[in-house]
Amino acid sequence: MEEPKHIFIGKKTIRKDGIPKVTGTLKFSSDIYVPGMLVGRVFKSPYAFADVKRIDTSEAERMGAVVITPDDVPDKIFNPRLVSIFEVTYKDYRVLTKHPRYLGDAIAAVAAPTEEAAQRALEAIKVEFERVYEPILDPFEAMSPSAPLIHKRILKGDEWIDVKNNVGCTLEYSEGDVDKALKEADVVLERRFRTNRRYHMQLEPKTSVCIPHSDGSITIYSTTQTIHNTRILISQIFDIPMSKINVVKVPIGGSFGSSIQINPVVPISVALCLKARKPVKISMTREEDIYDHAAYQMHFKIRAGAKSDGTLIAGELENIMDIGAHQIQAYPLLGTALGWFVSLYKWKNIRYVGKAVYTNKVPTCAFRGYGAPQVSWAVETLIDEMAEELGIDPVEFRLKNYVGKGDIFWGQGPTVKSIIRSDGVPELLQRGKELIGWERRRPPSEKTGRYRRGIGVGRSFHTSGAGGPISGETIDYTGAILKLNEDGTIDYITALQDHGGGTLDAHVKIIAEELGVPPDLINLVWSDTQTTLYDVCTHASRGTYVGGGAAVQAARELKNKIFNYAIRVLNKAVNQDMLELGYDKELGQAVVYVRDNPQMRITLKDLATIAWQRNWGTISTTVTYRSKAAPPSFTVYFVEVEVDTYTGKVRPVKVIAGADIGTVINPDYAAGQLHGGFAQGWGMATLEDTIYDPRTGELTNKGFITDYKILTAPDMPKLDDFQVIFAHTYEPTGPHGAKGLGEAALNSVAGAVANAIYNAIGVRFYELPITPERILEALKKKGR
Amino acid sequence: MKIPIEFTLNGQKVRTEVEPNELLLNLLREKFGYTGPKYVCGIGECGACTVLLDGEPVLSCLTLAVDVDGHEVTTVEGLAKSRELTLVQKALIEEAGVQCGYCTPGFVIMIDKLLKENPNPTEEEIRDYIRGNLCRCTGYVNIVKAAMKAAEELRKGTTKVAEISKE
Amino acid sequence: MTQVNIRPSRHNLYNTHIIPVRFEYFAPSSLEEALELLNKYGSEAKVLAGGTDLLVKMKMRVVEPKYVINIKKLKELSYIRDEGGEVRIGALTKWRELERSDVIMKYFPALYDAVKAMGGTQIRNMATIGGNLCNASPAADSAPPLMVLEARLILASREGEREVPITQFFKGPGKTVMRPDELLKEIIIPKPEPGTGSAFIKVARTAMDLAKISAATAVKVEDGRIKFARIAIGSAAPTPVRAWKTEEALKGKPFTPEVIRENVKLVETEISPIDDVRSTAFYRREVSKVIVEDALILSHERVVKGWMK
Repeated sequence: MEEPKHIFIGKKTIRKDGIPKVTGTLKFSSDIYVPGMLVGRVFKSPYAFADVKRIDTSEAERMGAVVITPDDVPDKIFNPRLVSIFEVTYKDYRVLTKHPRYLGDAIAAVAAPTEEAAQRALEAIKVEFERVYEPILDPFEAMSPSAPLIHKRILKGDEWIDVKNNVGCTLEYSEGDVDKALKEADVVLERRFRTNRRYHMQLEPKTSVCIPHSDGSITIYSTTQTIHNTRILISQIFDIPMSKINVVKVPIGGSFGSSIQINPVVPISVALCLKARKPVKISMTREEDIYDHAAYQMHFKIRAGAKSDGTLIAGELENIMDIGAHQIQAYPLLGTALGWFVSLYKWKNIRYVGKAVYTNKVPTCAFRGYGAPQVSWAVETLIDEMAEELGIDPVEFRLKNYVGKGDIFWGQGPTVKSIIRSDGVPELLQRGKELIGWERRRPPSEKTGRYRRGIGVGRSFHTSGAGGPISGETIDYTGAILKLNEDGTIDYITALQDHGGGTLDAHVKIIAEELGVPPDLINLVWSDTQTTLYDVCTHASRGTYVGGGAAVQAARELKNKIFNYAIRVLNKAVNQDMLELGYDKELGQAVVYVRDNPQMRITLKDLATIAWQRNWGTISTTVTYRSKAAPPSFTVYFVEVEVDTYTGKVRPVKVIAGADIGTVINPDYAAGQLHGGFAQGWGMATLEDTIYDPRTGELTNKGFITDYKILTAPDMPKLDDFQVIFAHTYEPTGPHGAKGLGEAALNSVAGAVANAIYNAIGVRFYELPITPERILEALKKKGR
Repeated sequence: MKIPIEFTLNGQKVRTEVEPNELLLNLLREKFGYTGPKYVCGIGECGACTVLLDGEPVLSCLTLAVDVDGHEVTTVEGLAKSRELTLVQKALIEEAGVQCGYCTPGFVIMIDKLLKENPNPTEEEIRDYIRGNLCRCTGYVNIVKAAMKAAEELRKGTTKVAEISKE
Repeated sequence: MTQVNIRPSRHNLYNTHIIPVRFEYFAPSSLEEALELLNKYGSEAKVLAGGTDLLVKMKMRVVEPKYVINIKKLKELSYIRDEGGEVRIGALTKWRELERSDVIMKYFPALYDAVKAMGGTQIRNMATIGGNLCNASPAADSAPPLMVLEARLILASREGEREVPITQFFKGPGKTVMRPDELLKEIIIPKPEPGTGSAFIKVARTAMDLAKISAATAVKVEDGRIKFARIAIGSAAPTPVRAWKTEEALKGKPFTPEVIRENVKLVETEISPIDDVRSTAFYRREVSKVIVEDALILSHERVVKGWMK
């Protein structure tokens, strides 16, 4: 399809929240202070696995604090993330618990006029424990029949189910005959992998402010990716009608999946607020936040077979997910993990077993990529090995076997399938090869000396949302409201959250493109649940694709209504179909004109003013929108590294980050996703992990980020050594040809880095992160 | 035991009383409403709470409020004079060095100060100067680009920025 | 189910939003007054200098002092004085002042390396050299360079002053020879004899980190032979340590890469590294040799090729 010419799309524009952000005046939820507000603190379990006998709050109450215990909150069990339909939603969470299942589970909470008073009250709470058990920290140990059960029974939908062997949920799948294919294969590889348990380290710690009103309603400001699901969940837990809950959209200081669920501080702040009848704010400390969420830690066993001509014929994946103490929608992840696996390469014969296993660790949730960075690292390592085994160039091997244009794609799992219609993989692989200097790549055996360089490639993708032609097990729709103001400017109202990537600025550009109204005349409304339509969540890289799709539809409907008014002014004889709406560069505004007679025209500003003066009424549209597909955005990274074989330190030398996102709407912010994706991916590959004390189940860093490092500016490659490229593709189902990006930008990094390290020193690593310690030990074993 | 203090905050003389264990960060945010400086780690690892104390960048999460008595404190809100952005603020917006924005105030203060010390920094010097500031969104790429661009503008003699250019 | 005796986590006590402990506060305006207070409150008091260590420990509830003596007003303890044969540094001198000092850069390259490697810009604007030493972390960046530069410390109390060589200052993690009534007043660094080169190398997880392992060296080569080589290692024992045996072994030997590599193997016998959250004993042992070798070569190179920019 021919790429249409754009006026605003693809051009560099100034983001609307730019000035408030650089001047420090933008208010995040943690910046909200309300008169008379109390500060809340949460009493967290000091044990990883225990049962509470008695909670003595008398001293804290004597100090004047408002205190809540499990007896003060509704006896409701829930899953803090709403995304799957009821029937497949597994629930084991409570607002406060007498049965803490990790060191950090909330047992009680206090509120007092100052943080210090709240801290004193928190310290005055006495909790007596009935029993303290040895924590179970290893998922394989947890699955042994003799292991105690972390949860005896949980809810699936509204039905109680008994948990067996600490397995919270499972998913199995097969296609073709894997055993037969493996027998026929010329090369079979079997590998085990273990990923790290990363922490999101989003800069804003989880926060919630709940404000009560005299009519019984409440207003909530919180760190969230979804204001509507926040409202629904609070309504369900506290039996408050949704019409009496308003959740306000406030900017979020980074999330990366960590507020895809309703963060525990939200219901706790609501419970405190309802008891105190005063505004209550809980803003976590960093050391609490690190006990709040982590990335799914996965243990894989992969078996794959290929023919000697380089054709893959079998792929088997066993996926044991160490989910920690609670389920934050682990079930859909079992499906997507399979989806990532089958949509990376054409295995032809597939077998999958996925198990989500409880352990007494920090509950895991989505973390940018929803399992795809983990699966892609393992698969890309194995594919690289397979290519070497077969004696085929790794790039050629990928090209031969990858899932691309015309193939069936089901990244979001077996219930969301579609056909791939845009595919920039060949272009990205080709250009990436040239830019990195692939021809310089030599086998590790030819490398000597202290500093050794290596080049690696890694590819992956992410979906753009979780929509599809039919309604599956996942909810995915959004809404948009457009309002033509009396001076021809536009108000754009959506519940969709922008995590900082510039998603909503992309919507504005799309609307500008459709209506010819320049972006600076389109107002991005900071909205809330009571004035917006439902949007499921900003997740699954759906912001630009799905939200942009809604924006297109709303703009087109608005345009029709504008034409309806325009014919009244221009000439009643003109047919509406003859009209066009476009941007007039000289006037700097939108103009309605007759297609074959552009002199017959009126500015949108004049038209809006006339409509107002003549009492014609406001032009507006309200759209609820579900996208019919969830197309893949492909990414390919080529990375060159240098390993100091004496200290094990690895340095990124050169990075080529390639992305196929269809039409690029915000070029500089799209590049920004790849920059940030690389930084997080490099951290995943070489640096980040949370480690537990095997005896207590406490984090060895005690929650302090002194010992959870993320990259700093000098750790990144130089500007000239980091190049971003975009494929020239057009996604027919996307808004103006666009697809998503946020997660794809990370998904392929760790694989590329691991393959580059291998190419430098000849050692494969099956455990992340690949730290200098692990490298040095491996080199020692290998004899350098 | 409250201690009276008096200091200059974003150009204004202010007086208040503080407890000895009160932190400058909380004083600025809660008493004076300057929420530009952010709490991120509380232990000096991230730079998000950076303010200028007598013109030098310090961490307000590790500064006692009593210690600013008689001194001059500038938060990010105090950098832009009236409605003009600084060159650094402008460059950060134009080079897409801002994503979620939570770390941004710290970077604005640091780069501004760097350019005052050294109007002609190398890329390496920029990266080193801001190594105490964490960002989880940008990989620092566009932040460093913005710093280089602001330095270039400064060398060209651009001193004032009336408003963000429209495009 | 196994019931066990597990020590409960203290994490409900942590609160890095605030300083979650109350204390009585003093801000002496003279050294005399400060020493008076230390004499009175001694072991129940903590001295606040830069705050970047103490306040963090208070937030983490590692220390809960009854009294805090804030010595920031003692401007008389902030100086870098070139006094001919030696340089005197006031204990309250901030790292940024060391960084900006030509004297430090010119005479003490190893210390200058450490200054550049310590913290970020903001931390260096706040933290003092005295605080870094008194905190007595095995990973203190200032310690290895000062050890190879043979610095001496002046400790003051109401009773008077005493001088302690830095090699005898540290007693264990967080422990020094200082009495509760004493204050670190001054660091004296003799200027190395001409022809001496020095360097400091730190290995860390990122560019803004505590050392996993660090090493400082000072070396003088005469007629191709090592007149002396001084070596100190950080983060490899309960305190920063001098590698006396290795130094002795190197003495008088020809300064060649082979000789150095052969002799630095001894380093691992002089340290007692552990596994912890930052690294492993194995890694520290291996890498200590590497960075001592690198630092020795760099130290000498600075003499041969010149050091000042």
